[in-house]
Amino acid sequence: MNKIVIGDNIVKSFGEGIEQRNILDGVSVEINEDEFVSVMGPSGSGKSTLMFALSGMDGINSGKVVFDNKDLSAIGEKQLSDIRRSEMGFIFQQPTMLKNLNILDNIILPSIRDNRKNALKISEKARTLMEKVGISELEKRNITQVSGGQLQRAGICRALMNSPKIIFGDEPTGALNSQSAQEIMDILSEINTEGTAVMLVTHDAKVAARTERIMFMRDGKIVSELKLPKSVGVNIDSRIEKVTAKMLEIGI
Amino acid sequence: MYNRIIRNDILKSKAITLTTVIFVAAAAMLVSLAAILVINLTGALDTLMEKAETPHFMQMHSGEIDRHRLTAFAEQNNNVEEYQVVEFLGMDGSQIILGDNSLTNSVQDNGFSIQSEKFDYLLDLNGDIINISDGEIYVPVAYMKDNTAELGDTAVISGKEFTIAGFLRDSTMNSSLSASKRFLVSSNDFVEIKDLGNIEYLIEFRLKDYSKIGEFETAYASAGLEANGPTVTYTLFKTMNAISDGLMIAVILLVSVLVIAIAFMSIRFTLLAKIEDDYREIGVMKAIGLRLSDIKKIYLAKYAVIAAAGSILGFILSLMFQGVLLENIRVYMGESENAPLAIGLGIIGILLVFLAIVAYVNLVLKRFRKISAAEAIRFGTSKEKKVGAKRFTLSSNRVFSTNIFLGIKDVLARKRLYGTMLLVLVISAFIIIVPQNLYNTISSKSFIQYMGIGSYDLRIQTSDHEKTDDIVQTIESDSDVSKYAVLTTKTFKVKTSNESGENMKVELGDHSAFPIEYSVGRAPVRDDEIALSAINADEMSKKVGDVITLINEGKEKELKVSGIYSDVTNGGKTAKAVFTDNSANVMWTIVCVELSDKSFVDSKVLGYSSEFDFAKTSDINEFVSQTLGSTINSVEIASYAAVAVALVITTLVTLLFMKMLVAKDRYSIAVMKAFGFTNSDIKVQYVSRSVFVLIVGIILGTLLANTVGEIFAGALISSFGASTFNFAVNPLSAYLVSPLMMISMVLIATVIGIARAGQIKISENIKE
Repeated sequence: MNKIVIGDNIVKSFGEGIEQRNILDGVSVEINEDEFVSVMGPSGSGKSTLMFALSGMDGINSGKVVFDNKDLSAIGEKQLSDIRRSEMGFIFQQPTMLKNLNILDNIILPSIRDNRKNALKISEKARTLMEKVGISELEKRNITQVSGGQLQRAGICRALMNSPKIIFGDEPTGALNSQSAQEIMDILSEINTEGTAVMLVTHDAKVAARTERIMFMRDGKIVSELKLPKSVGVNIDSRIEKVTAKMLEIGI
Repeated sequence: MYNRIIRNDILKSKAITLTTVIFVAAAAMLVSLAAILVINLTGALDTLMEKAETPHFMQMHSGEIDRHRLTAFAEQNNNVEEYQVVEFLGMDGSQIILGDNSLTNSVQDNGFSIQSEKFDYLLDLNGDIINISDGEIYVPVAYMKDNTAELGDTAVISGKEFTIAGFLRDSTMNSSLSASKRFLVSSNDFVEIKDLGNIEYLIEFRLKDYSKIGEFETAYASAGLEANGPTVTYTLFKTMNAISDGLMIAVILLVSVLVIAIAFMSIRFTLLAKIEDDYREIGVMKAIGLRLSDIKKIYLAKYAVIAAAGSILGFILSLMFQGVLLENIRVYMGESENAPLAIGLGIIGILLVFLAIVAYVNLVLKRFRKISAAEAIRFGTSKEKKVGAKRFTLSSNRVFSTNIFLGIKDVLARKRLYGTMLLVLVISAFIIIVPQNLYNTISSKSFIQYMGIGSYDLRIQTSDHEKTDDIVQTIESDSDVSKYAVLTTKTFKVKTSNESGENMKVELGDHSAFPIEYSVGRAPVRDDEIALSAINADEMSKKVGDVITLINEGKEKELKVSGIYSDVTNGGKTAKAVFTDNSANVMWTIVCVELSDKSFVDSKVLGYSSEFDFAKTSDINEFVSQTLGSTINSVEIASYAAVAVALVITTLVTLLFMKMLVAKDRYSIAVMKAFGFTNSDIKVQYVSRSVFVLIVGIILGTLLANTVGEIFAGALISSFGASTFNFAVNPLSAYLVSPLMMISMVLIATVIGIARAGQIKISENIKE
């Protein structure tokens, strides 16, 4: 199986002098190209920092990140931007959308940057995706005129626009009610089964239980891992129990 | 606690705070300077006119004079306190050599007088009445100012040598607007040179009650006394003395109003941005029960510190710069007795600036009342925001690149925010273009039409009526002359509604040879027609077609007004007619000459000058530039200064706005970076924003400059006598160079202002 992302002995620190602290303290991680993984851990354990490091959004102090056979620490800001725009998708907890643009414009924004001539095609693709996640009637709405769940669906559409190789999600259901959260997870599972790798950062056992591999972090290190069958089926409750048991076992 | 909050806040936004302080300082400096100048100007002017005992009424007269009749009039009129006749020995500039400089090219009427006996004294630079010895000469201070003469130089007047013993202040003829300049010599020397020039008389009166000057003027005119020359009153002397510094003060005040407006806008912009940033905190403070006034105090205190620092800095700067600006007043009028008062008023001026800023900040902070604590804490932003330009969408955009689209969209979506920047740029474009157009207009050849002068090559002016025929004969036989016209100016009495008479200068001759532009109507053609200058028509309330009555040799002559024209010469009060008249005294005659080959102008001027040494021959361009030269020069300097000021303002404001925007938009920038937009993408977006605002600003500014600005400039010019006024625009500088300069400064300022955007870390700004 090909690895889409490889993190090798990543160290990321904040602060200077005696106040310097390693947020990532020699983390090594590998994600397969069709894998659905999640990272769990208490606040400050470094899980979001790991995601920012693996996606090239944040530099690292030492170690190495390889994305699709490209060493991210060896390439410049422009190429990093190109990779993020064309090969990665992102979903954040808060709807990271531009206030000035309507929903459709926000969704097509990253893809239309170099492809203005294909605006029609791009808009068509966006509409198809919006229909798929059930927000097709919202395209002209302002972002302040829709609910958090709807915004998050729009965020997923945006992440999918360039047919990325991986989707990074930082607490994508963190701001949603349980009904909306479940629907978002359904969409993400479907995307994964269609062949896109997904890496989620979460502190919610219900979300983690939907993924096939869970990495547990504490104090900047991956302290444990839990593997689950890829297909969720009807066993969601037992999967949640397993996750909770593991959390209790390692004390997070 | 306030100290700490203010200190931290200022340290966090050094550049923004500094820019705001600079604007406040500039505004405070200008207000304080204006106050200091006004007090010094009025004080120095009063001192000068008191010490010199300026006449209340002065009638200049050339020709015969009946002193008995004048004395009798003065004795009979019970408002007359003192009366005297001063002799003014007019001499051609070529006869006057000061040190190494000859006054040949001077368009001033230079002349010599002795110290007056009763009043209208000529003062030295200490403000004392000059006592002059034989062999000495005192030179008008204007010639010291332009470095024509130096103390101790030898002056040669028609071959007689004098030593320049000093410079004099002349309360009646000091001003550059006054066409005559008086030199002072001793009585013995005056007698010696008396035959070398033409004597004119200054008939001067001091009145017991100046408020009745109107009555006195009428009495003088109706007594039919000597009146072959201009009449000037005390008020006009005062205005003429004050006008050049007064104009400067007016310009300073105007600029200070603009700078204050800009300072206010910058404050408003930074304050609104800060409030938006602190929205959640303000909500929390409200929620935990802090009073509105307490919250306000935190913001108010910071701006009070900024305003105080700016005002004090501005005041110090104004004290440093006052010397330069007061120099003119000091040289021409002397020290003011009110100097300490000036400092006081300067302080009051900056206090007003300070209070205005505090009051303004208070006003802006009123919106705190509208902030809902619950909404602020939950959303961290105001929900009332409306997004504009809904139809301008990325999905339907086919014209702009994505980055340019995003830049323009942001401007359209946040119109109020960019409106502030737009206003500043409109003002900047306005203050770049208007003075430039004004300079271009008054320095262009077509401006001559506002002077009431036709288009010819050279003019020969003489007051010696008997020799006019000599000139005409020479011109007539000169084969290089293609056309000429003789225009004679005489004074006539005009019958007014209250049956008293008023004197009016009428230029007689063929006005069709060198036509001028008429704002209404046309040139006089028939004997019973007359054209009036705009100011004359206005004062006499006459329109084209109206009739005015001239009194000619005791007989009344009715003339129909055929046209009205602009004239900025002779105080703007002139008239033109074609009837022949042999009665009234000739004031002066001008022979207008057009040459078949323009390249002869210089040699012809030289030739005629030496042939007619009793007359003044000038190249018409030279004449215009000397008459209006100092005005053109000051407008030129003002236009360059305006360009510099406007560019500095443009740069500073753009820098300030861009820094503020980047600080405000950290989140959006992080989002775009997360989704693969590079730093250069972000740069293009911000540059598009400022260039878009700038283009709108330049267009609006140019439109305003050519409409409102033209009206302003026209009002200024019309006070000198021009009736219609159109800008002569130099398209290259107004529509290409100026916008290019603004665009370059805005681009540089934008790129510097958004440098921080490159350092914004995605993780720090969107991490949960």
